[in-house]
Order: sequence, then C-alpha cells, then structure tokens
Amino acid sequence: MKMKKTLSLLLALAMALSLAACGAQPDASGSEPASQPEAVSEPAADTPEAADPTAQPDGASETSYPVTVTDQAGRQVTIESQPETLVSGYYITTSLLIALGLQDELVGIEAKADTRPIYALSAPELLELPSVGTAKEFDLEGCAALAPDLVILPLKLESAADSLAELGIPALLVNPEDQALLNEAVTLIGAATNTQARAQALLDFSAEQEQRLADTLAGAETPSVYLAGNSDFLSTAGDAMYQSDMIRMAGGVNAAAEITDTYWAEVSYEQVLAWDPDYIVLASDADYTVDDVLADPNLAGCAAVENGNVFQIPGDAEAWDSPVPGGILGAVWLSSVLHPDLCPEADSLAVIDEFYQTFYGFAYSAAAGGTDAA
Amino acid sequence: MQPDRTKIKLFCAAGAALLAVLAVAGLFTGKYPLTLEGMLAGDEMQLRVFWTLRASRTAVGVLGGFALGVAGFVYQTVFRNPLASPDVIGVSSGASAGAAAGILFLSGAAAVTAASFAGALAAVGLALALSALDRSGRHSTIVLAGIAVHSLAQTALMCLKLTADPERELASIEYWIMGSLNGVSGYSIGGNLALCALCVAALFLLHRQVLLLSADEGEARMLGVSVGRMRLAVLLTATLAVSCVVSLSGLISFVGLLAPHGARLLTKRSGPGTMLLGGLLGGILLTGADILARSAAAVELPVSIFTSLLGAPFLIFLIVKGRRQA
Repeated sequence: MKMKKTLSLLLALAMALSLAACGAQPDASGSEPASQPEAVSEPAADTPEAADPTAQPDGASETSYPVTVTDQAGRQVTIESQPETLVSGYYITTSLLIALGLQDELVGIEAKADTRPIYALSAPELLELPSVGTAKEFDLEGCAALAPDLVILPLKLESAADSLAELGIPALLVNPEDQALLNEAVTLIGAATNTQARAQALLDFSAEQEQRLADTLAGAETPSVYLAGNSDFLSTAGDAMYQSDMIRMAGGVNAAAEITDTYWAEVSYEQVLAWDPDYIVLASDADYTVDDVLADPNLAGCAAVENGNVFQIPGDAEAWDSPVPGGILGAVWLSSVLHPDLCPEADSLAVIDEFYQTFYGFAYSAAAGGTDAA
Repeated sequence: MQPDRTKIKLFCAAGAALLAVLAVAGLFTGKYPLTLEGMLAGDEMQLRVFWTLRASRTAVGVLGGFALGVAGFVYQTVFRNPLASPDVIGVSSGASAGAAAGILFLSGAAAVTAASFAGALAAVGLALALSALDRSGRHSTIVLAGIAVHSLAQTALMCLKLTADPERELASIEYWIMGSLNGVSGYSIGGNLALCALCVAALFLLHRQVLLLSADEGEARMLGVSVGRMRLAVLLTATLAVSCVVSLSGLISFVGLLAPHGARLLTKRSGPGTMLLGGLLGGILLTGADILARSAAAVELPVSIFTSLLGAPFLIFLIVKGRRQA
C-alpha cells in the first residue's frame, strides 16, 4: 500500500498529491470538487525532522501548529494549536475519533448516539455528551456554546461549517462516502488532531486485511451475492457503491453489478429471481430479518433462499456496510460466510477482535455474545 | 343524439381494445425471462413468477387505473369542479401520512398497506365530519374541509419524516410517496382488489345519482334525491376505491385528474359512457406507465413519472384539438 511508508508530513503531502492525480472521486454534494487533504505545516522551520523523511522511526510524525489543512469540501482550515476540545457531528467521524484515541477530547457529538452500540462498548461516556443535532437539523448555537477548538462535520453541513468559521471556530468537512474518501478523511483528521501515527495504523490495518483476503481468495469461486438494503428488501447496492467493494473483497460478485446508480436502487422481485443469487445478505441496519426473507413467498425458488444462504451483516458494534473506520471487517465477516473453508470463521473473529481491541479497547466476541456470523 | 352514442361506443370499444393490448404487453414485460413455451411446459418457477408477480402487477395496473379514472370522474362531476380529484378531500395526503406511520412504527408491506388505507379513510372521514358542521350544504364546504384536512395530513407527514431515520425510513417514505407498482404480489392484493372492484361496480350502479348530484341542488331535490346523503354515499364509495389502489401503490399522480378530462373532451358529454371511457383511459395510462416504469431502466422507476409524461401531452392534444373544432 502506498500510504504505508508515510513517515513524515512532507511525504504525506507528496502521497496525497499523487493520489489526487489518479483517484479523483465524484463529489456527492456537487458544490465544490472534493480535494485531497493536505497537511501543510507552517512554518516549516519549526519542524526540522519533518524535512527529513528518514530521520524518525515509523509513526513518529507530528503535526506542528498552527497547521492549515484542506478539508474534503476543498476549504482551507487553519488550526492554531493542538485541539483540546472537539465536536463531531457525524457518527462516522465520532467513531473515527474514538479509534484515534480522542474520545476524552470530545465535548459534543451528533444526535441519536444511543443507537450506536460502538459508543457504549468503547466510550460510554460519549452517551452523556450534549448533542449537536443531526445532518438534517444541526444545532449551530448549541455547538458554538460548547466552544470547541475544532468541529468535524459531514459535507452536507457545509453552511454550518462556514457559519462556525465566522464565529472563529474551525470546522472540517469530511465526506467518507467510500473507502478512498474515508482513507482521505482519516489522514485529514489525523493531521488536524496530531494523531497521525494512529491514523496510519488504522489505514494499514484495512490495507493489510484487504491484501490478506485478496491473497487467500485468489482463484476461488465467486458466488453471486444480492445485498438487500436498509430500507427495504427490494433496494439494493449497485456496482458503484461501497457495499459492492465489500462483496468483491470477500470473494463474491455483486448480483446487482449491472446497476450503475450511486445510491440504493429499487428493483423488483422478478429481477431478484432472474439474478437468482447464491447468497442474500441483509444490510446491517435492516428492519426486516433473515426469517422474513426466508419466509417471503415471493422469493420461493430463489437459490439463496432454497439453500438457506441468507445472512445479515452483524451490527453488534457498528454497521460494517457503511464506510466506518472498521468497514473492512464487513468484508472479513462476509469472506467467512462465502468461503468458510478458505476463511474459517474463527480466523475472521480473531481479526475482528484484534481490530476492536487495538483501536477501541474492547473485546468484540465477548460483547457480541456469539451472535456473530449467524 | 344517435351518432353521439355510436361515437361513445366506438371510443369505449377502442379504449377497451387498447387496454387489453397493453395488459397482454404488461404480462410479457419484466425482468424475469418468461417464455410461453416454458410456461406451457409447466416450468414451476416461470408459472410462479407469472401468477404471483407479473399477473398481479398487471391486474393492479388495469383495475387500479380504471378505478382512479372512474373515481376522478365522480369527484369532478359531484363537485362540478374540473380540478377536483381525490387529493381535494385529502385522500392522498391521508394515505401518505398513514403509510409513513406504518413504515415508522409497523413492519411488513401488508402493515404499511393497512396503515395507509386507514390514513386515507381517516382523512376522508375527518373532511366529511368537518363539512357536516356547516348545515348550509354548500359544495364549497367539503372542498374547504378537504383542504384543511390535506394540510393537517401534510403536517403530520412532515413530523413523521422529521423523526425518520434518513438512511432507512425516510428513503422508504419518499419512495412510497413517489408511487410504484413494484412489490405488488399475488399474496398481498386480494382484499384490496376485491373491495376496489366492488366500489367501482357500485359507482356504475349509482351513475344516475352521480349525474343528478351535478345538477342544480333544487332540481335534484325535486327529482327526489336526498342530496346530502347521496353525496356522502357516492363520495365515500369513490374514496374507498381510491384508497384501495393508493394503499397498494403509493401516490399516482395525474391519472384521477386526467383520465376523466380526456374522456369528457372526447365524448363532450358526461353520461355513464363517459364514465366508462374515463376508467378505460385511466387503466391505459397506468398500465402503459407501469410497463415503462419496469422496463425503461435497469432499476425500477416511480410510475408517476410516466403517468405524467404520457398523460400531459395527451391532455394538451385534446384541448388544442377541441379548440380547433369549436
């Protein structure tokens, strides 16, 4: 992985620029082109070690403040000193801040925190924090009242970020819509909060697992997988979506690969029957259950249903089918479902345990109570 | 007089023929590869897809469109208002609010259908109860009551949307409101279709009363019609038919408004023949739109896009043609 050898800010910048050249992602908001995060330390003279990429051991890169970063809306944001109080208005960044070891710096988070089991498992104190609302209804005054040193918001809240900037509160916008954009966001927030070593470790973990799956599953059969969405069994993820990558990494093919929509697309029962997938996988947050699908008379005769190959992505910690920092675990889990011989369940569980122990400080298999891998 | 009747009969025959052609086309359009040979050979899977999915969906398109057309005709006639449609007395918004509540608090497609049906009936019940408070019996009262109920239901819908989870529930609510015959299957439509057919049949039996209600009120009373009660019965029947369709399909724009207009512009009168033609046009519009909705793209599209897309030019054509002849 390219990012693996990043040893200094300077190198991080070079890498980010080279990535920007080859991997421009479509920007969901369309307002401004998403640009790569670049960490520019200023003044450079304060950090002599940053100028020499070989001077420090792995992971020793430090942010020197004030620092100016470019967020995922292309805004230049200057942070004067290392932030001691943070507000996160998005569950993905809140989870990321926990993984970066910054839960104690958080003074406010998004609404409905009690619906995210990962907070209760790894940082229950977050549930007591004041809410700054949701992407639909952001509480600008409430957020400002917390007087945070840095606010991290989803791209949807661009106007709120600009208002905060006018109040003198720096706000970073992130847009973790897929793995590449999530990786960018991880690098960006790592640079802004001076947790670059940990951010890099997080990226390395995902990259290593992706590589391990690719090596293990090279040449294996690729069963077809229909991914049923959160809102409804008949909504599915086409090839352009994050969830499709998860299926591919786990050694399967997306039954709905012909669909090019970038958001959940509606299909018909007929279409599902015509695809006749080998496996049906339900999104983590789906209201309906595996039993509902198995009992659906409209799906009788479908190979996945006939063979009982219907599974739901576990949501005991977080929804791995969304671009959360631990999103790679969705592919790890699914690889054991699709290829139990090549990727034994115990191995996958060990990887999942290692991830949560390392970055979130809790034992996953104990917390999940063995409900994993139905 | 006589040539007019023949003309209406001709129109109706042509409409019925076109509807039949579209229904057959609908039976053979879809994502699952069905073949006549396969079905005749008794391929179990193909037969199951045909009966539970394809035929059911086509039946809902034909009968649903027919019912919307007839109900629209009744509303426009009774209210003597060319813009009247089920939306006027809050049926659609009541159904939407009911469906949203069903999506949020219940689970399963059948529960959502039931909730939206209940929402539609509650809205109409409320509108009629409000209008009953005004004893003068004016036409405008029920329309005003309907507008009030419509806004109330919209407010309820907005509150429900606000509490909805944007990833899951909000998406479902939005998609439901856009309307689609996707998800219709033989296991879920029986009750709705039977009730809908009954209501439509009742409206045809009541066609004379519908016309009398459109006449001057004093005149109607002289002819021995109990205006208030009859209006209530006719409107309730039409509304029930619409609720049956809408609770299965979600909102379908334009059919209830356009089909009766089209029929009236073609026949230039408002007898039972025109009512039948309105129903046929509604069926043609919805069946045709649904065929496009399921085949135009790799994914399912909302049917309302096509009802409007097909319907609007047709209406404009009729209006322009009518002007030229006049």
